[in-house]
Amino acid sequence: MAELHKPDLPGAGLWTTSVGSFPKPDYIIKARSRFARKEISREELRELEKKATKDWIDFQESIGTDLLVDGEMYRGDMVAYFAEEMPGLEMGGLVRSYGNRYYRKPIATGPVGRDEPITVEWWKYAQSLTDRPVKGMLTGPYTICDWSFNEHYESRRDFVLDLAKAIRDEALDLERAGCKYIQIDEPAASTRMDELDLVTEAMDIVTEPLTVHTLTHICYGDFHHAYPKMLDIPVDQIDLEFANSEYTLLEEFGEHPFTKYIGLGVTDVHSHLLELVDDIADGIRKVMKYIPPERIFVDPDCGLKTRSIDEAKAKLTNIAKAVEIVRSEL
Amino acid sequence: MAIRTTSAGAYPKPPDEGQTFVLRKTLQAMDRGEATAEDVQRAVEDLGRQMIEEQEKTGVDLVTHGHPGWEDILTPFARHIGGFEIGGLLRWFDNNVYYRRPVSVGRIEWRGPSSVDAFKSADSVATKPVKAVIPGPITFARLSIDEYYSDHDKFVGAIAKVLAQEAFELEASGAEVIQIDEPALLDAPEDLALAREAVGTVTGELNSATTILATYFGDAKRLGAELFDLPVDGFALDFVAGPDNFELVKQFPKDKILQAGIVDARNTKLEPVEDIVDLAQRLLESVDADRLWLAPSASLEFLPREKARAKLERLTEAAGEVGA
Repeated sequence: MAELHKPDLPGAGLWTTSVGSFPKPDYIIKARSRFARKEISREELRELEKKATKDWIDFQESIGTDLLVDGEMYRGDMVAYFAEEMPGLEMGGLVRSYGNRYYRKPIATGPVGRDEPITVEWWKYAQSLTDRPVKGMLTGPYTICDWSFNEHYESRRDFVLDLAKAIRDEALDLERAGCKYIQIDEPAASTRMDELDLVTEAMDIVTEPLTVHTLTHICYGDFHHAYPKMLDIPVDQIDLEFANSEYTLLEEFGEHPFTKYIGLGVTDVHSHLLELVDDIADGIRKVMKYIPPERIFVDPDCGLKTRSIDEAKAKLTNIAKAVEIVRSEL
Repeated sequence: MAIRTTSAGAYPKPPDEGQTFVLRKTLQAMDRGEATAEDVQRAVEDLGRQMIEEQEKTGVDLVTHGHPGWEDILTPFARHIGGFEIGGLLRWFDNNVYYRRPVSVGRIEWRGPSSVDAFKSADSVATKPVKAVIPGPITFARLSIDEYYSDHDKFVGAIAKVLAQEAFELEASGAEVIQIDEPALLDAPEDLALAREAVGTVTGELNSATTILATYFGDAKRLGAELFDLPVDGFALDFVAGPDNFELVKQFPKDKILQAGIVDARNTKLEPVEDIVDLAQRLLESVDADRLWLAPSASLEFLPREKARAKLERLTEAAGEVGA
């Protein structure tokens, strides 16, 4: 892509943000299962989700987060949330992702599309709670395809490109509603090196008509093979996990400069251990040898939904403190 | 004679739609301090029993213990083997499934069996033979982080020795068939000579157990027919993710078993029985009927329970028609 869309945020960089999900309070977990058993109405559930969303917005403001997320109190799995609303996709049975974690894997049974906006109402609600910007959060076409079964399409490419058109329409609706930062998550992008071109082709469909700052989050993969090719993905920012991969990606940046804004994951989301402020600050300083602060966003490695609320808040607080320290050195 | 059928590895843990997922709930309760390790163990054993019964009901000839208590195929071993710690999560090949990377931090030492209790527990309830499944030394090493040996060959050799002990104990406990999973070998043709030695170490102390070296998630064309020189009794190949394997098996040795993965273990779409029959017939041009085992392309854990069962049912139905 020609020119990156600059973020319109105060200060000279090292902006703090989050990848997407936060842990749900117990009352949401209970309400969700009561809703599933039809014991409460959708409206009752929604009121609770709104309350939990507001609490997370308030918390992010309280620690000075620059670019907020709504915390996804109303979402379950990141693919299922979209699949449930998209014609052509049906919800399948439970399959395991790891350990005691399972998800409902959708099945493509017909041509996939989008009838109505899926995320816009929630984004508007979250944005109404704060003067700071809130990110729009979408799951990318490649990941929806990769994390679904396919009983309809002849080729993965056909499936991905139909999904890309649907996600593009959703992104355009977010932009029209006033959203200035749109994240299109592609955690599956690092899965198959021979399909990185397909990830790029699909992302181009999604971001081509957009005029706002776009970013994608990629995780758990063989970055060393995906880099620098992943820089072809047409977004302004790529968000990567550094804590879980112990900053080994930096070696690559020496050889091939990172040409976009970076979302710098500095806390391991799968560990109960709390990263120390000094260690996080060191991590940020290491990355600043390769990327200037005005190109860096700092966040956890991934969504924090698998942590407890206290753990998540502690990790976010330590990130904020570490950023404060490094900013003071600029 | 009828063509034999077998499962290939783990079996889905979630129950059929609408039923209570006891193991998941028990593990969650343990996290909250409301259930004990014994409660979890009981839930694992109950699930293991269901997995065996369900596989047997589909008519499959050779079942696996289903891995009800395993997080992935490496962690249960890495936890028992001296010299390993358990590291961060990483994607399991090209699946939306994750495993924890073993990290070697000291001398690798045998500290007692990792999988024998699980095998015995399954074998005690099964009416059919149970195939034991262990990771192979090349895959184990390549998917781990070596912080101790700093020498791939030595690292593989050390892992092979403890896996040899594991295989020996499995055989002593009654395992008639041992599947050694080497999916990582497909992308590591440079390790083929090393694999010959290391797999030889694993199988070398066995007396009568039939050993199957299992590859999946792709074709073996980069290894070529030299793969078939490895010192095992048979090979599992994935003909779904690796259709080029049909070409490769034209060179399949006459004295080895082919465990042919011909139904897709990673997609819910159910193959028509006649299509499975056609694929089996095609393989019979290269392999004798008494050496051909029909199987899913990989572990069935990628599928919801109902679909996994349906895949096995179709497989056995097809095997019956091929044999008829």
